[in-house]
Amino acid sequence: MGFWQKVGSLLLLGAALGQPGSASTVVQGTKPGARGRFVIDETGRHMTIPANVQRIVSVAPSLTEIVYALGAGDRLVGDTNLCDIPAEAKLKPHVGNPQNPSLEDIVALHPDVVLATTSINYAATADTLLKLGIAVYTTDPETVLGTLDSFAKIGDVIGSKAEGVAVESALRARLEALQGRLADHPPAHVLFLVWLTPPMSIGQNTFIADALRWAGAESILATDQRWPNPAFEEVLRLQPDYIVLTTDHEGSGKDATDLRSRPQWKDLVAVQLGRVVTLNDDIERPSPALVDGIEQLAHDLHPEIFIGCGSSGTGTAPCGR
Amino acid sequence: MSAPSDSRVSAVAATETALRLKVEQVSYAYSATDRSAPQFTLGPVSFDARRHDLLAILGPNASGKSTLLRLLAGVTKPLSGRVQVDGEEISSLDLKARAQKIALVQQESQLLFPLRVWEYVLQGRYPYGKRLRFESEEDCVLATNALAQVGADSLRDYWMDELSGGQKQRVILARAMAQQPSLLLLDEPTQHLDLGGKVELLRRLRKLADENRHTVIVVTHELDLAADFADRVVLLQKGKCLREGTPAEVYDRALLEEVFDAPLEVEMRTNGRPRVSLRTNY
Amino acid sequence: MRPLTPRRVLTLCSGLLLLLFIAVVISLRVGAYPISIPDIVATLFNRVAGRSDLIPPVYSEVIFGLRLPRIVLGIIVGAALSTAGAGFQALLRNPLADPYVLGVSSGAALGAIMSLIFTPHVAGAIQMAAFIGAGLTTGVVFLLGRRGGQLDAATLLLAGIVTTSFLSAVIMFLMTTLSGRDLRGIEFWVMGNLSNPPAVNPVWLLIILIVAGGSIYTTTSDLNLMLTGEQEARHLGVNVRRVKLVVFVASSVLTGLAVSVSGSIGYVGLLVPHVMRMIFGTDYRLLVPTSAIGGAILIVVADTLARTLLGATEVPVGAMTALAGAPVFIYLMRRRVR
Repeated sequence: MGFWQKVGSLLLLGAALGQPGSASTVVQGTKPGARGRFVIDETGRHMTIPANVQRIVSVAPSLTEIVYALGAGDRLVGDTNLCDIPAEAKLKPHVGNPQNPSLEDIVALHPDVVLATTSINYAATADTLLKLGIAVYTTDPETVLGTLDSFAKIGDVIGSKAEGVAVESALRARLEALQGRLADHPPAHVLFLVWLTPPMSIGQNTFIADALRWAGAESILATDQRWPNPAFEEVLRLQPDYIVLTTDHEGSGKDATDLRSRPQWKDLVAVQLGRVVTLNDDIERPSPALVDGIEQLAHDLHPEIFIGCGSSGTGTAPCGR
Repeated sequence: MSAPSDSRVSAVAATETALRLKVEQVSYAYSATDRSAPQFTLGPVSFDARRHDLLAILGPNASGKSTLLRLLAGVTKPLSGRVQVDGEEISSLDLKARAQKIALVQQESQLLFPLRVWEYVLQGRYPYGKRLRFESEEDCVLATNALAQVGADSLRDYWMDELSGGQKQRVILARAMAQQPSLLLLDEPTQHLDLGGKVELLRRLRKLADENRHTVIVVTHELDLAADFADRVVLLQKGKCLREGTPAEVYDRALLEEVFDAPLEVEMRTNGRPRVSLRTNY
Repeated sequence: MRPLTPRRVLTLCSGLLLLLFIAVVISLRVGAYPISIPDIVATLFNRVAGRSDLIPPVYSEVIFGLRLPRIVLGIIVGAALSTAGAGFQALLRNPLADPYVLGVSSGAALGAIMSLIFTPHVAGAIQMAAFIGAGLTTGVVFLLGRRGGQLDAATLLLAGIVTTSFLSAVIMFLMTTLSGRDLRGIEFWVMGNLSNPPAVNPVWLLIILIVAGGSIYTTTSDLNLMLTGEQEARHLGVNVRRVKLVVFVASSVLTGLAVSVSGSIGYVGLLVPHVMRMIFGTDYRLLVPTSAIGGAILIVVADTLARTLLGATEVPVGAMTALAGAPVFIYLMRRRVR
């Protein structure tokens, strides 16, 4: 064979070996023997999910929580190394972290469906798995009600439809009761801090902002940016009623006394009056504990609504449930 | 018209073939911008050189020596006139063909990465081959010869930056010679050398001119070296060629004193070459 | 006196290709999903022969869907970056030059951000936009980097630094003020990542690699001379202006190619040419092909380590190239008898 013929056949071989699944839309690759339902997930991706889902992999901590809340924890065969709620989730086989999970580990677990969410996972992960013929259901939680809705949808997808509907109804009822109680009260103006130094807050279109509204609060920053870094002067001008900080679930974080000793912060009326609320980060996650977080925040911001409701000093059993 | 006589034909032919370099009315001007008046002009200059000649371009600083050399090398194009080497006008040659005829010997060499002496000298063979070339046996032989001729045989496997100043200069010369040029051009090659080094270099150049086909052109301001070693001298001042000829013809005391602005003494020695010295009794 | 011969180039490159082959085989073999070598061979055979029986389809998914695309991409990106690195080191007359010093990766990142804003869900758009961004940046740097009508090393370097700073500032501004939620994808892309192969047929990438790399190879004799001085090279008959243009364009194309498909993977373009120089010498006729293959080997090895070293957690491949490459570099530096 001449030199150029050799080159040509090598290139052809490469072309044969190198064809990706499809270049135009992300479509699940063919899996021989795939039967089941045709499903479109919350991001518009198409896939076929087996009728009988026995093996679930979750690549986000919030989704792991949901799977357990739906009573399907025994069918969860893999999660991320950050999944620690509930405690049993830590014992499941890990596939890495949510941002860059090991695709091979996921494939090795032979999942019937993988659960992902746009709030923490990268789109490329879902795309690649779909191309390999693995169903990946991605949620897209933009609002609180949308999140509750996705609990029901996930329940449907993994074959726990009844539990999904039940969880959603119960949570929705709590929210509506809360809304009833807050009906005549004006919302508290809060500065919700995701980070303290430098101060980073949330935009109006975020999931957290929606959660705040359900808790009878309104973020003082009128911006569309997702994670604005407000100049302190702006905060001073706006003088929020409350400052809300979050801690992680081990409870470490900052509290009111800390802020009173900080140079700029002590000029804020809210700090001087001790109106600093510390929550755990349930309210930042699209999981069932979100509603607990909303209720807790409502209780802290509008204590007068909940007087006589049997809440103890720690405020962990608010009314309305 | 009757045919010219044989002896005259062969005399003309002999002169023509021996004539290596012909510079005709070459001029050049340099100005800072296109519209301002020229800051510096050179020429018109005319001279020739034959095979085996060692020609010195002589003059004080800023007399246009380096510019003239660049014109001879074809690096710069003259404003008027032409430079012919072996009967061909150099501006009509492409880069490689010109490199086969003319070698410009640099003074220094700034290497970016380490290189061995023989690799460096082999690079002189570049003009003789395709763009992407691998050196042939003949190339190696010629490079070895070039090294031998400058007396740098033993330095062959050294690294270039291990060499002393004088050794490096010889190696650079060897690379120029590996080009097998007709014309070998050097710009102030004696600048950083001590007296012994200067003499040794000029002796070597003289020998190269005598033994090989090279015509050597040296730009210098060293009057006595030029007097001792050059066959012809071109004397420049402020861009003008004042005189051209053998050292004996060019070295006129009044002329030299005016050009170099120093009190001088010129004597003719028995070998027909002048000796220049500073006049101290004034 | 032993000048370089084509045979020596071919022999050394074949040896390196053998090393690459071994690295590829090892990379195909290791991973979270256990597949033995005979099964790997059978899967490959089935694919080429067009059969789909006998082997569990999941093997095919893992090998052709996960491992092989990474390996092929790694080879192309590694070869492209190392060749570009060697080219820029010669062009800029600076041993510390790497392929990103002229701002190509910032331009690609900006292109990618634009794509995420305007065409977030079009497959392949981010790569195309990144490549265009890289190309435009190259053009700007070219125009800024000239002096006296041709490319000048010091001017180019300055132009590259200025352009990089400017583009980085624009990128930071965009990321702060824009509210699109998919901008998070840009972090993933910028980090340098082979784990999600783009929807581009690698044969195209290979063709670009060969054409651009080949163009650089044709200038290697010239580059050898130019490394002893630009004026000297000119006097020896090198068309310096043309060579600089070819090397600049080809190296920028290679860098743009690599960055568009895998983000910025560092150290390869800088380390590999130096390591090859220490082993094989500075002759560019040998340096360019050995750097290309050496870069491919480095990326394949680094990527394999990146995805297997810590179990399920994947380390960024750029970190692994530094970890894998730096000790080799240090060892060679100490061994040199100079």
